Amino acid sequence: MDAEAREVRALEAEIAALQRRCQELPAPGEKPSGVRKSCQKLPQSDSEGWESSKDLRSHLGHLKSELSFLSTLTGFNIRNYSKKIEAVTNTEVTEEGTTKVLQRHRLSGNCNMVTFQLEFQVLEIQTKEKLSSAITDLNIIMEPTEYSELSEFACRAEERRDLLMFFQSLHFFVEWYEYRKHTFKHFKEKYPDTVHLPEGACSHCMEIHSTSRPGFELVVVWRIQINEEGKVSPKLDLLTKVPQRALVLDKNRVIETAPSSFQTLLGVLGIEAALDSLIKLLCVGNN
Amino acid sequence: MSRSHKKSEELPRVQRDENVLRTKIHELRHLRDKLRAEVKRRQARVKACSANVETNQTAEISEQQVLEKQKENVKAILQAYRFTGLSGKLTSRGVCVCISTAFEGNLLDSFFVDLVMEKPPWIHHHSIPVFIPLEKIAAAYLQSDLQRFLFSLCEYVNAYSGRKYQADRLQSDFEALLTVPLQRNSLCNLLSFTYKVDGRDQSFSFSARLLYEDLTATLPTDVTVTYQGMEASTHWEEHRASHEILFRTKPLHQVFASFSKEVEKLDLSLVS
Repeated sequence: MDAEAREVRALEAEIAALQRRCQELPAPGEKPSGVRKSCQKLPQSDSEGWESSKDLRSHLGHLKSELSFLSTLTGFNIRNYSKKIEAVTNTEVTEEGTTKVLQRHRLSGNCNMVTFQLEFQVLEIQTKEKLSSAITDLNIIMEPTEYSELSEFACRAEERRDLLMFFQSLHFFVEWYEYRKHTFKHFKEKYPDTVHLPEGACSHCMEIHSTSRPGFELVVVWRIQINEEGKVSPKLDLLTKVPQRALVLDKNRVIETAPSSFQTLLGVLGIEAALDSLIKLLCVGNN
Repeated sequence: MSRSHKKSEELPRVQRDENVLRTKIHELRHLRDKLRAEVKRRQARVKACSANVETNQTAEISEQQVLEKQKENVKAILQAYRFTGLSGKLTSRGVCVCISTAFEGNLLDSFFVDLVMEKPPWIHHHSIPVFIPLEKIAAAYLQSDLQRFLFSLCEYVNAYSGRKYQADRLQSDFEALLTVPLQRNSLCNLLSFTYKVDGRDQSFSFSARLLYEDLTATLPTDVTVTYQGMEASTHWEEHRASHEILFRTKPLHQVFASFSKEVEKLDLSLVS
């Protein structure tokens, strides 16, 4: 009987506990209070600075259009960028109040057909009087690598840590490159039988063949130079290919003086007109 | 009969008590099981409900995180454009372009041009110094080729910034060598100064005039160095000629830095 009495008491205690538990939990039909709490959390998160997805999306859209505009405006398409900051505090007693911050940057993208990958460091020194920033290390990787002028120029930019000059000169180089391509293409279309582009539209030289006199050829070599200061300029030269016999017959040394005459022609007429008149010269022979 | 009667009376009572207890236990067990089941049911519902909210929350949060990350990424790239020299922000009427200048890796001042992008575009306002030929450049390119306008303006502004930097460095770092202080115009394309250089036996005094006719260049097109001393020694001509070449080919403050190095070299040779 004791055992049973004990059991009764145990059951009664358990039932009491279960009833209390039941009261804590929401009955079916009621909204669980736990859910109500977490629902209330969301509006609070908004006020903590988290935009709603809709706002974020429109903000992102605006930023992307800004990026696209800038990319078209400058001709530079920056695809990836990252920055790491290291604080290098100066503990020298002589330079109190001076802080140095070293930033490591990684940037990659393209300018037309040239792709670049840059890694550089910027050192920011803040003294009481002023803040100065300087690039302390610069590494440039560029593709394609066939343009020797470009790789020389990249080396010089690296040595001088002149990132700005790299971008500015790259822009002008690409501009000249496109102009050369466009010009050669134009002449190939205008005089398809006379003009030959050995490497296609992107070649750096244009051959002018005389169809009536095979063996006579003029070759215009058009290089794009970048000087020490980063100034980009075209350099055109004329080469002649004539049979030996013709050279012997050339009493007036027209062929010999052709290259320098071409330079004069360039100065007077400009690139397009000079090339056009040169081609017409040999075309006359074709008719 | 009494004893057995008593016993039979007692027995039923005990049995009745036992029966009551047993029934009670039975009922209590039943109630307890019911309550256990109810508690379980309610707990399961709460769990399911909060899990639901959690998944919705997590999905929403992760979408927010992704968008937030993308936003930060694009913002960073927009910032990075200043390293190219040209960066900017869209405005309600067009774009505000920021031109960043530098000289040999030293990041210098920025200038802005606020453009209204109508057909044709025009300049609303700007911070380009008045001595930069902005009107001339705008007249040439602004209406026809915006990119060309910006890069051309960049050339002028950047070159000015570079010339100014060289002049500033000369004044701040090599004040001791200047016997007549540096004179310059606002465009920093006409500089004149007098300096002394210590040679082996004597010191030479020279005065230099640097003219930068090409406003897009940071090196002078015209350099005149004249000897200021009275001695008729021939040594100074070598120095004078080499200095002219140096000023034409190297940044100003670097030329002066090489003067100091030369002196050090000469001193060392005397000692040894």
